[in-house]
Amino acid sequence: MIRYSIRRLVLLLITLWLLSLFMFALQQLFPGDTLTNISGIRPSDGVAYELAYQHYAMSQSWLSQYWQFFQHLLRGDWGQSLVTQRAVFNDIMPQLGATLELTVLAMIISLVIGVPLGLYAAVQQRGPLDRVIMAVSLSAYSIPAFWLAQLALLLFAVKLGWAPISGQLNPLFNIPPVSGSVLVDIFLSDSHYRSAAFVDALHHLWLPVVVLSIIPLTLLIRITRNATLDVLQQNYLRAARSRGLSESRIMIKHVMPNAMQVIVRQLGLQFSLLMSNIIIIETIFNWPGIGSSLIKSIYERDYPVMLGGLFTLAALILLVNVAVELYHAWRYPQVRKELYAER
Amino acid sequence: MNILDIRNLTIEIDGDNGPIRLVDRLSLQIAEGEIHTLVGESGSGKSLLAKAILGFINPRWRVTADRLWWRHYDLLALNPEQRRLVTGRDMAMIFQNPGSYLDPNASIGAQLQECIPNSELKGVYLRRRADRKTRAARLLHRVGIKDHEGVMRAYPFELSDGVAQKVSIAMAIAHNPKLLIADEPTTAMEPQTRSQIYRLLSKLNASHGMSVLMITQDLTAIMPETKRISMVYCGQLMEVGTPQQLLEQPLHPYTEAMRSMSLANHSTPVKTRLPTLGGAIPTMANLPIGCRLGPRCQYARRACIETPRLRKLKQHQFACHYPLIEVKNYD
Repeated sequence: MIRYSIRRLVLLLITLWLLSLFMFALQQLFPGDTLTNISGIRPSDGVAYELAYQHYAMSQSWLSQYWQFFQHLLRGDWGQSLVTQRAVFNDIMPQLGATLELTVLAMIISLVIGVPLGLYAAVQQRGPLDRVIMAVSLSAYSIPAFWLAQLALLLFAVKLGWAPISGQLNPLFNIPPVSGSVLVDIFLSDSHYRSAAFVDALHHLWLPVVVLSIIPLTLLIRITRNATLDVLQQNYLRAARSRGLSESRIMIKHVMPNAMQVIVRQLGLQFSLLMSNIIIIETIFNWPGIGSSLIKSIYERDYPVMLGGLFTLAALILLVNVAVELYHAWRYPQVRKELYAER
Repeated sequence: MNILDIRNLTIEIDGDNGPIRLVDRLSLQIAEGEIHTLVGESGSGKSLLAKAILGFINPRWRVTADRLWWRHYDLLALNPEQRRLVTGRDMAMIFQNPGSYLDPNASIGAQLQECIPNSELKGVYLRRRADRKTRAARLLHRVGIKDHEGVMRAYPFELSDGVAQKVSIAMAIAHNPKLLIADEPTTAMEPQTRSQIYRLLSKLNASHGMSVLMITQDLTAIMPETKRISMVYCGQLMEVGTPQQLLEQPLHPYTEAMRSMSLANHSTPVKTRLPTLGGAIPTMANLPIGCRLGPRCQYARRACIETPRLRKLKQHQFACHYPLIEVKNYD
């Protein structure tokens, strides 16, 4: 297990390094002045530009240029925004918090609802409820996220007024941003209106979270159902039945753990899908996360912000994938056997 | 006294041209403490019979029988839940490929402890858990595993087939079943492991009076303690008798063919044709009528299109119109 973990982590580092190489290449290819694309400092800035020219070793070979860029990247000096002139790294971290808040909540919702529904559908295979669950999940899966988000906005925010149209929190509440995640920030702040702000934040949060959770939810239902059906046919389950174990014990002790093994693996693979959905949802709900800032930076040709956002999202996806793989191998030992030898 | 009494058990499934009889009026009696061996080629319905006894029934199968009694329970009259309680308490089964009958994601210790019924444990919560553990270790010792710590911690994929089979025997005997059904438990194993497992089963049989229904393909590789053998071909019962009767003076041509096949060895003269039974086992869709051995039987005559009745010569039963030796006083 230790050897496997080290191998995974080394692979993660190598992939991240390749990502930096890719970003460096992108900067060279973007239109305009390369140094401006990297650092966000324009030639018209005079002395600052001269200084940056030296810092990034622009007069030397591209190898030393890359080396300087790499060092800046590691140091968290990702240049400044071309539009707001603010440091990219300091802006991105709270955005990451906001994005993670949406993602984690949506994931929790889809897990809490999706896994039991999938299990239920599998147990009631071909029963009327199984058919209803599968039909609804398939049709929900086929609805594009951007359309669903706008429909939800029209219905719940505009027509019914159950949720605000956009944003994270009513600006009346003066909550200093620390982590970027509203709920955490409210918890950390010492405002007198903490409980009121909390309610308001939930009010803003529920609609984007629900819309975001639809796709992973439908996927989870289907994955869980298939995984459970597969487990239900295994010999060891029939043997457990023949031993006279109770049905609920078989479900909890034997079916669930084995189905979860497949589900965990699939979740890791589906995470990038969730990330591409979150970009759309954040833009539509005007959520101050990485996704909406990435879209905005593309419109504004704000290259340093664009690259910073790209790097953060890509690194996040890689990290989650590696974390899921490590968990998978740690929790389900027979996976480890396949790592070194084929079955 | 017979603890298991099966009369004319039939298993049918629906085929394209009407129902197909996978098991045709099979009868089987097992006495208390008896080791009974069921011999037949693969596809002869041996495992189906075992599954029908345990109630592992596929909803597409139609199982009917004149009698399917386990001690004083009529298994066919019980509802599935009651039946599972009875069979789960009194019977256990071990399988040909033990690995696939163990939950891959649970440690052996957890699975073994799960099999020990609560009613056997003493004390309350913590004592109970400790008791469960020591009992599990004792079970592993009983089946000949010395390193109980290591095996309990292991996961099924880490065990060899022999050890996995011993573990599944340990799981099977955890609740002291009255009948153990062993479905080709040693087919994939080397002879050494096989004799270990046979010795283990016969020890359990002797010490606990546990009856064993051993299912195997090889007439000569039966357990030495076997009391009676049932020969099955294509879902039909051919001959039942003691090992001595079947191996020394078989009455049924099928038993004779199996015996001579199994006995061919290095003392067979050089370059002689090895004894075989001509033809192949018929497919499910093309089962012959009457005695199903008919097309492959060198003694078959016209009468064989009628299924022969099971006839009895003292303790020796056979189903053949033309037994190998002249039999007069049967009923």
